[in-house]
Amino acid sequence: MPKITIDGQTIEVAEGTTILKAAGQAGIEIPHLCYHPAFPPEGSCRLCLVEIEGAPKLELACATVVREGMVVKTQSEKVKEARRSVLEFLLAEHPLDCPICDKAGECQLQDYYELYGLFASQYRETKEKKDKLVRLGRHLLLDRERCIQCTRCVRFLLEITRTGELGVFERGIRSIIGFYEGEPVDNNYSGNLAEICPVGAITDLDFRFKTRRWLLDSRPSICPLCSRNCAINVEFHKGLPRIELGQRVFRIRSRKNLRVNQYWICDLGRYSYRYLDENRIDRPYQLVNGRRINLSWEKLIILLSEKIRALKIRKRTSRIVLVLNSALTNEELFLMRRLFLEELAVSRFIFCDPPEEKGDNFLLTAERVPNRRGAEKIGFDLKSREEVLQEDKIDLLLIFAAHLAEKMPLNWLSSLASEIGAKFLFSSQESKLSQLMDFVAPVTPVAEKAGSFINVDGLMQSFEAALNPWGESRPEWEILVNLAREIPVNYRYFGRFNSPRAIWKAIAEEKLNISERL
Amino acid sequence: MNEKVLSRQFDLPYLHKIDVYLENGGYEAVRKALKLPPEEIVEEVKKANLRGRGGAGFPAGLKWSFVPRVDKPKYLCVNADEGEPGTFKDRYIMSHNPHLLIEGIIITSYAVGIHLAFIYIRGEYEKIAQRLEKAIEEARNKGFLGENILGTGFNLEVVVHRGAGAYICGEETALLESLEGKRGHPRLKPPFPASVGLFQMPTVINNVETVANVPLIILNGADWFLSLGQPKDGGTRLFSVSGMVERPGVYELPVGTPLRKIIFDYAGGVKNGRRLKAVIPGGMSAPILLPEEIDVPMDCESVMKRGSMLGSAAIIVIDETVPIIEVLSKVTKFYSHESCGQCTPCRIGTAWINKIVKRIASGQGRKDDLKEIERLASQIKGRTLCPLGDAAALPILAIVNKFRTELEAMLPH
Amino acid sequence: MSAPVFEVIRKEIEAILPRYPRKEAALLPALHIVQRKLGFIPPEGEKLVAQLLEVKPVRVREVVTFYTMFTRKPLGKYHLQVCSNLSCSLAGGESILLYLEEKLGIKAGETTSDGRFTLSTVECLGACDQGPCLMVNYDLYGQLDRAKVDELLAKLD
Repeated sequence: MPKITIDGQTIEVAEGTTILKAAGQAGIEIPHLCYHPAFPPEGSCRLCLVEIEGAPKLELACATVVREGMVVKTQSEKVKEARRSVLEFLLAEHPLDCPICDKAGECQLQDYYELYGLFASQYRETKEKKDKLVRLGRHLLLDRERCIQCTRCVRFLLEITRTGELGVFERGIRSIIGFYEGEPVDNNYSGNLAEICPVGAITDLDFRFKTRRWLLDSRPSICPLCSRNCAINVEFHKGLPRIELGQRVFRIRSRKNLRVNQYWICDLGRYSYRYLDENRIDRPYQLVNGRRINLSWEKLIILLSEKIRALKIRKRTSRIVLVLNSALTNEELFLMRRLFLEELAVSRFIFCDPPEEKGDNFLLTAERVPNRRGAEKIGFDLKSREEVLQEDKIDLLLIFAAHLAEKMPLNWLSSLASEIGAKFLFSSQESKLSQLMDFVAPVTPVAEKAGSFINVDGLMQSFEAALNPWGESRPEWEILVNLAREIPVNYRYFGRFNSPRAIWKAIAEEKLNISERL
Repeated sequence: MNEKVLSRQFDLPYLHKIDVYLENGGYEAVRKALKLPPEEIVEEVKKANLRGRGGAGFPAGLKWSFVPRVDKPKYLCVNADEGEPGTFKDRYIMSHNPHLLIEGIIITSYAVGIHLAFIYIRGEYEKIAQRLEKAIEEARNKGFLGENILGTGFNLEVVVHRGAGAYICGEETALLESLEGKRGHPRLKPPFPASVGLFQMPTVINNVETVANVPLIILNGADWFLSLGQPKDGGTRLFSVSGMVERPGVYELPVGTPLRKIIFDYAGGVKNGRRLKAVIPGGMSAPILLPEEIDVPMDCESVMKRGSMLGSAAIIVIDETVPIIEVLSKVTKFYSHESCGQCTPCRIGTAWINKIVKRIASGQGRKDDLKEIERLASQIKGRTLCPLGDAAALPILAIVNKFRTELEAMLPH
Repeated sequence: MSAPVFEVIRKEIEAILPRYPRKEAALLPALHIVQRKLGFIPPEGEKLVAQLLEVKPVRVREVVTFYTMFTRKPLGKYHLQVCSNLSCSLAGGESILLYLEEKLGIKAGETTSDGRFTLSTVECLGACDQGPCLMVNYDLYGQLDRAKVDELLAKLD
């Protein structure tokens, strides 16, 4: 374990660590553009040059491995001048696009200029003219004048997706990024290119000219669209008074998680966020002969509790059918088990997960629900159990659809609907399903609640709410606790659950053997 | 002493034909070498202080000794890219005596344990590439190449591989990239080609003239080779002399011959009796020298001490009639045109400087242009991924520094 | 693009592949073969090379656009490549270029309307003692003056 000194600080690092990584461990930031932790060092931007005692020239921090006793200076005059000069070179040929460039506010060139530049431009020649509107594929635009030739995009496609669509054409200052006619970037990970581009050369069409980075808040969450459970950031308008609040969420970005999705998310997860702001159910309501009557949550809970209590007293909870899916959190599935299966002796439950689709051999799984592993761990049988529908009459049908109302396979419902007593739907999205119901109540999708999932590899991640609930949406766990209070059922037990964290504590204490918290 | 050694036989008609070559003592060095232990050959070449004649001047024997003796494919790449402006000695060697090069290739490969050698020849030398291929065929037919050479069990194939017009491919790691079928983008060093080279395998890259000297060292010994030149820099060099001299051409002279002597005694002095203005001593990448600076011995160390470099030993003579802006323009145009574009300072810096110089040349110079050029060149120097940055920056700085008055006269005051 | 010529190109490329430890190493030689036969490198040529060497066409395009000897545009029958570097310039290379521009009626980078000549400037050709130099396709001509240029152009039908 070599010991080195960086800016006066002595630290010990693992054999084979680069100066850049070692500095990071010491809390020292060394600026870099072409380097990305997911790829081997490239060494072309020259921004990370640092001074090493005894070495004649400045050396690259990203590519130089530390040796015992190395003394590194990252703040000397020489280093500062070298950084300034790289920025000067880059900005010399860079178009003055900041006012119209989507990357403004999260651009490495801007950020580094503020930290290490702050010089007046002395470039008085004519800048190179290149194409500014090159369509790279379904989602991306390339502005060749803004490109700083860091080649992260080229390397991402060679090393991560192994599809290699992009290349460097021409030579010297005329170098440009391009693709072969007819072979643009259309793989399921293209959106990552706009994220890893340090400047506004590659931008996302989905985000183009829509808003500004500094108007957005960014909160962590988990993507619920497949069982990989990629770590994401949900970016939404903070809601400044003078900005019109048409749309909350403007984009989804990847969040680093080296054990799940490294630095990436797939395009499906990245671009399917509109459901968070569109087609939402605002408040609970009842449908009487097709007419909609708004209800308060209190009223709905009371009504439902009455029906359950009535069946419980007559020992007829066998007339209750519970329809679930694996988009529910571990905490919610746990409550389902304790409350319905155990306390209320409801044995007729079905998991109606949407059918599997094609996964790719990277992040996207064939399963298009987030928490089948969690459901299994909590002890549910996920096999198709449509036979339970025939076991007895159905006096009460409860469908917990999460965000999957459109996709749950419920083809048995329309034929049975007229024979079912009362039908309750808990869903975040409006859908054709609502029309078949008697009562509809809004629930919060994953982005609006806290909880935990277990992914396809058995890794558990817990998450907090990134957005406020839409309208009167409530998380399923809260609805279940309210039901337990109102029915009432063992409220001494359920009444403690005032947060998903408290539920998790119970799961851990009751030793259901769920794998360690991540 | 100006006895020709390497080019001694170059005037023999049809020397490129193996029968003529054999009649004149050809392939004796190979016969001798294949009887020696390979390590001994490496030691002898080390002792001879044969320095690389492509431009970098790195000791060849030392380079060979860096190659690990492991059971992996290893490669030899003969650098015949000859792109350094002013240089034409390798053209001379390959067209007059291709078999001497082939002998050198065989001995070098045997010494290091290589069984596949490439001659990376610039695409513009197409006719010479064809001549090399014919010579290789002849050598194979006589049993000097292929399997079980001269019954020793040593196998070697030689492939002539053409470049396609990129000066940067003369840089050894860019050459490897090009040979692998890619753009000529230099690689980060370390690792060095001796351990991670062509297709990630240990590789030796040597200039044509360097390899062509190897048979001479084998035949006559390291001491002999050293005695021809200087203690740290043995042998002779083929000096490419061009520009405004009476007799441009290739001159084989001992390492350490004074530059003045080469220009005035051998090449006939400045043409038409004009006055000398400047000399580029080692190819365009070598900083320019003033007339009072040409009493320098032409060996690697001495020229370096004088603030320039021996480089490819290409001497370009410039007389008083040449406006220095013309020289500067050629330099900045060349490097910005040949920059591969990978790293920031070279890609943008060489183009920026070229734009300024173009403006000056067209009469639109500005007051601070020279200061600006010097500032930018200093920001390229020592900061680039490969030596092309310095190859551009140092000559530019030297010209501006040494001809400041003349250049300033072109600018507004 | 006629199929027979492509067959010839295919066979020539396949013949050189075994020389290399990896197919993709033959990329530059393969492109030389295409350009020698067709005079330039059209997309069909790029795709053929990509297919034979088992690389993506974009890798071929990267190489074609990097090296100055490769061209994606058809050239004239005779590609006149005039050295524009220092030694040839010192020997009078600029005036040779100007003379050619005058005689052919085109500027460097252009092709005559009858398709016979393309005029280009190139960097050092490695024949500086014979300056000023130019290459016509793969043939080098040195020690040029106006008379020699006239003679040369007359020879090229």
